Amino acid sequence: MSNGSQVTSELFENLKLELRRGCLTLAVLTQLRTERYGYTLRKALADDGLEIDEGTLYPLLRRLENQGLLVSQWREEDKRNKRFYRLSPVGEQILEQLLKEWLSINTSLNRIMQEA
Amino acid sequence: MDLLKSYLTAVKRNLPRKQREDILAELSEELRSQIEDRERELGRPLTDPEQYGVLMQHGDPMVVARRYWPERSRSLAIGWELIGPELFPTYAFVLILNVCITLVTVLVALWVYHVPMAIKPFFLPVGIQMVCVTGIFIVLNMVRRKFTVNFLCGPADLASMMPLQRWYSISGLVFCGVLTLWWLAIPRFQSLVLGPAAGELELSSSVWHRYYLPVLLLFLAGMAQRATTLARPHWNWLLPTSRFVIDGAGAVLMFFFPSHALVVVSQAAADPAQAEKLAATANNWLRWGLFGPWLWIYLAVSSLVYAWYSRPFFRRFLRSRRNRIGRSHAVNGLI
Repeated sequence: MSNGSQVTSELFENLKLELRRGCLTLAVLTQLRTERYGYTLRKALADDGLEIDEGTLYPLLRRLENQGLLVSQWREEDKRNKRFYRLSPVGEQILEQLLKEWLSINTSLNRIMQEA
Repeated sequence: MDLLKSYLTAVKRNLPRKQREDILAELSEELRSQIEDRERELGRPLTDPEQYGVLMQHGDPMVVARRYWPERSRSLAIGWELIGPELFPTYAFVLILNVCITLVTVLVALWVYHVPMAIKPFFLPVGIQMVCVTGIFIVLNMVRRKFTVNFLCGPADLASMMPLQRWYSISGLVFCGVLTLWWLAIPRFQSLVLGPAAGELELSSSVWHRYYLPVLLLFLAGMAQRATTLARPHWNWLLPTSRFVIDGAGAVLMFFFPSHALVVVSQAAADPAQAEKLAATANNWLRWGLFGPWLWIYLAVSSLVYAWYSRPFFRRFLRSRRNRIGRSHAVNGLI
């Protein structure tokens, strides 16, 4: 019995992870319409109810930058060097398309849930 | 910030080489911000255990570094992961080194014994090396995935705060307990060492009297250490320091132990001439097998490894001693 519930919980965790992965990318891109550095970005996301641990956020930022969706710059603030990220022009275009896609999926999903 | 520095050094070791400094600078900034935020909340600097808490929350250094590797980085897998990307570079290095040493050794052996050069003699030793090294790293990878023994591979300065896991102490206690029982039983049941030849042969009483008690004391010390770490998991300094001493002493004992004739012919032997030959064979087996050079080499290497792990504890001890002396000087100055 407990083995069954463990399998169910593992399955749920995996599916949740998959679901979150895409959403996090979208949330990060949206937040980075305004320039931020990692720590403040993480806090801003947490304040909006989307907790993300730093072990996930920083590699994600790096991946998005390698894909050309973000640009970054090291700058001094409060006597410390910080790496600031913002959307690149390509990132802005892609974010727009992704948000449209998101809204469309959301609308369809709402419709499906109402029908069910 | 010693702990932070030590943690970042441990992460750095496992990061992709090209981005290492850049990632480290950003990670350092993130962790400093977290620590400062926490200090602002509390209105005082964080203590070492509190800093340790922040760093542990951030994750095991190897796992943190792994996230920065591309998803298709080098690893060994057949459907499921055998050797993960964080261990793979070390695996590749050790494998290449071992294969090179094996090739050179076989080459020299062929030359010394005037054996005609051929490819065939190389196959078996190289194959054995590849299977053994790969096997060891697969087990290491499995252990890393299943359990976290941060104490043995984690950041040096943080090691002093990591409690030892119970399974580690219990398995050591069981292993050491079985060895101690075996040693205790040897005087009464000599067949535990001599096997079926126990009727014809016996252990040399002068040699065994000289070495029996010191070896037994080492076994008992090993058991006591494991029992103590089981009861006091936070006394993690005890493991490396005591293993350094115990294994070091064991290496010295085992270096001299097999140099004597350990087995002699029993007075009850039916055929003394045959028993002499048997005794020579048994002595050879004990000298090169059970108590062979592998044993003292293993103990000496183990002692050196534990000496290496003892360093952060020793440094910490010296630092706290210096601070105590400094404080007492300051008090004396005030008085």
